[in-house]
Amino acid sequence: MKSYVLVTGATGGLGKAFVAECASRGWDLCLTDLREHALEALAAGTERMYNVHVLTRAGDLTDAASREALWRYVHDSGTRFHMLINVAGTDFEGGFVDRHLEELRTILRLNIEGTVEMTHRVLAYRDRTRPLRIINVSSLAGFYPMPLKAVYAASKRFLLDFSVALNQELRAGDVTVTALCPAGMPTTPDCVQKIQAQGLMGQMTTMNVGKVAHETINAALAGRSIVVPGWVNQIISSLGDLLPAPVVAAVIERRWRRARASLTPGGARPLAVRAPESV
Amino acid sequence: MVVTGATSGIGRAATAALAARGAHVLGVGRSLERCADAEQAIREIAPDATVSFLLADLASQGQIRDLAGAIVEHVADQGGGKLDVLVNNAGTVSSWYTATEDGYELTFAVNHLAAFLLTHELLPLLAAAPAARVVTVGSASHRRTRIHWSDIMLRRGYHVLRAYKQSKLANVLFSAEFNRRVARTSPVRAYVADPGLVNTEIGLKGTQGLARMVWGRRRLDGVAPIDGAKTVVFLATDSSVEGSEHLYWKDCRPLQPSRYALREDEAARLWELSARLCGMEA
Repeated sequence: MKSYVLVTGATGGLGKAFVAECASRGWDLCLTDLREHALEALAAGTERMYNVHVLTRAGDLTDAASREALWRYVHDSGTRFHMLINVAGTDFEGGFVDRHLEELRTILRLNIEGTVEMTHRVLAYRDRTRPLRIINVSSLAGFYPMPLKAVYAASKRFLLDFSVALNQELRAGDVTVTALCPAGMPTTPDCVQKIQAQGLMGQMTTMNVGKVAHETINAALAGRSIVVPGWVNQIISSLGDLLPAPVVAAVIERRWRRARASLTPGGARPLAVRAPESV
Repeated sequence: MVVTGATSGIGRAATAALAARGAHVLGVGRSLERCADAEQAIREIAPDATVSFLLADLASQGQIRDLAGAIVEHVADQGGGKLDVLVNNAGTVSSWYTATEDGYELTFAVNHLAAFLLTHELLPLLAAAPAARVVTVGSASHRRTRIHWSDIMLRRGYHVLRAYKQSKLANVLFSAEFNRRVARTSPVRAYVADPGLVNTEIGLKGTQGLARMVWGRRRLDGVAPIDGAKTVVFLATDSSVEGSEHLYWKDCRPLQPSRYALREDEAARLWELSARLCGMEA
C-alpha cells in the first residue's frame, strides 16, 4: 500500500519548503491548495526533481463542502497517510475595527476549523503500519496576545494548545502532533518588505524557510510538541511566560505600530473606525 | 536577436546597443511598465530601431514555454524563422531561500534553468540561422565555488552568495557542455560574457541587511551598464568571434574560466539534471 504525506497550503512559501523536504526524503505527497494551476506546476517540478509520486487536489479549506469533497476523494481512491502538515492559514492587514467581518470569519474558518477538521479526518485514513505524524503551523504569535493581529494570534494560540494537548492524548496510539511556531518568513517579496520594516529585530528573527522545514520534520519524527526555529525566537517565545500578558501586549503594540508606520510613507495612520457591518 | 532581462542594467544597455546597430531585437522583461519604459528610452536614442518587448517571468517554466512560443511566432513573422542571437542575461539574487512555482530555488531557476530551458526551446530557430550564438552573461563569481550536489537547491545551507556563485558557475558549465553536445551537430555556438563589476541593481533586488549594504557600496566601483554590455554586444555581433573556440570572454577578449567550470563530468551531470528538471527527458 502506498502511503502519502498530506500538505495543506502547499503552494505557499512554507508549503513549498515542506513539499521539497518531504520529497527529498523519498515520501510520496498529496497536495492541496486553492489554485489548481499552481498545484500542478509544483507537483510536476517536485516529481522531476525527487522522483516521487505527487497527487494534487485543489480546494478551499474554509468551505465545508470543499473539505467534504477532498475527503470523499481520499476515501474513494483508498489513499492513506503517514503524515499531515497543516500549513494553510491566513491573516489580513489592519487593526480589529478595520477588518471586515468576513475576513475575521475566514481566519477562524481556515486557521482553526480547517486545521481541526483535517486533523480529525486524517486519523481515519492513516497508514496503520506506521506512526502518524501531524504538524500544525502555529506561529511565534501564538505565545502572546498581539494587538493589531488579535484574531490571528489567538487562532495561532488555539493551534498551539490544541497541538500540545493532542500530542499527549494521542501518543499512546502512535500519533504525534507537533506545533511549528516560526517568526515571519521571507517567502514572498511582500514578506521580505515587512521583515525589513521591522529593522534589525525583523532580520534576527527571520529564518530560511528550507531549513525550518528540515528541522520541523526532524522534530515531528522525534515526537516533539513544539518547534521554535532559531535561538532568538526561542528567547522571544519564553518572554511570553516571564512577563504579564498586558505588558507583553503593550510592547507588541508599540512595535507593530512602528513597523507599520515605516511601511506607509505618510507615517502612522490613525485607525479608522468603520460602522459595524450588519450581521 | 533575443535579450532576456532587457529592462534594466546590462540587458537594457545591450538591447539598446544592439538595436542601435540595426539588429532586430526582442527584449524580455517581467513588468509591462518597465518594458514600455525601456522601449521608449531605446527609441529616443535610436529612432529607427526595430525593437519590441515580450513579457515573461523566467522564474516560471510555464511562462518560459509560453515566451518561447511567442518568440517562435514573432520570428516566423518577421525574421524568416531564424534567430541569430540569444542573450541569456536575466539574473537575480535573493537574501533568502525562495522557491519558484515549480518548487525550485529562485536563483538557480532564474539564472541557470531559465537559460537552459529557453535555449532549448529556441534551438530550432537558432539552428536555422547560418551561425547563431547563445551568449550567456556570466561573472567572475563562478570562480572558487562548486556545484553543491547534495543540496543543489541549497534548502538547508542557503546563503545569498553561495546561491549566486553556484548559478554563475552553472552558466559556464552549461555553455561549455552546449558546445560539446549541440554545437557539434548544428551551427550554433555558446559563449559566456563576463561583464566585470557593473553598477546595476541586481544586488538590491531581493536582498537586505549586510548583503544589501555591501552591494550598495560595491556597485559604486562598478562601470556603467553600457560598458558592462560591451562584451555582450561584441560576442553577439563581432565577426572575429565567428568560429572561435574560446568560451569565456571579458573586455572583448578570451579569458580562462575556472578549472572547475571546464570539468566535463560536472557539466554532463548538470546538463542531465537540468534536462530532467525542465521536463525534457527523452
